[in-house]
Amino acid sequence: MRVLFFAHLKDVTGCAEIGVELGPPADADELWRKLADRFPALARLRGSIRLARNCEYVGPDARFADADEVALIPPVSGG
Amino acid sequence: MQLEIEITTQPIAPRREPPEETRGRIGARAEFAGLVRAEESGRPIAALEYEAYQPMAERVIQQIVEDINRRHPCEWVRVIHRVGVISVGEAAIVVEAGARHRAEAFALLTEFTDRLKQDVPIWKRRTLNRDELRNPPTP
Repeated sequence: MRVLFFAHLKDVTGCAEIGVELGPPADADELWRKLADRFPALARLRGSIRLARNCEYVGPDARFADADEVALIPPVSGG
Repeated sequence: MQLEIEITTQPIAPRREPPEETRGRIGARAEFAGLVRAEESGRPIAALEYEAYQPMAERVIQQIVEDINRRHPCEWVRVIHRVGVISVGEAAIVVEAGARHRAEAFALLTEFTDRLKQDVPIWKRRTLNRDELRNPPTP
């Protein structure tokens, strides 16, 4: 699945998006394990980052599929 | 309620007239504009750069407006947020609301702008000083 990064998370990861393959259970913890392996600095920000799946915020119980577009949403600051 | 949402890199156009079909139903029209100030976190700046996750931002804006509209019904709402580099004094956001009475229009603007700052995936990406505004650094 595609994982998108925004704002300062692009600086942390050095990219705007990556592809990730999740093993079972394809949940938020598994996603964060994969992300932490690749971007250790990102894991430290987990507490301030919300996840969105296909443009909708999801909670900690969310499950993901290969076709999903998942975004990491740091605290917003529009307006 | 008629809802217009736009996220654009272009300067926000001057005030638009509400759609013709709402004419006669709107007794109060209110506008909020958020402008870029000349300082950010105590430092002088020349511009701000905004970034959006556009498809989600549009969806969340729609959800927020529709939710508020159930409690404060309006006839017409227009939300336009600019992204990219925005100079001091220019508008980053304009929200207009037309309703039968002023209370609904004011209430929608107030609650919407609060919730925008909590949930809509738009970010102030960085500040630019005068030199950087003349020669913007690459992202």
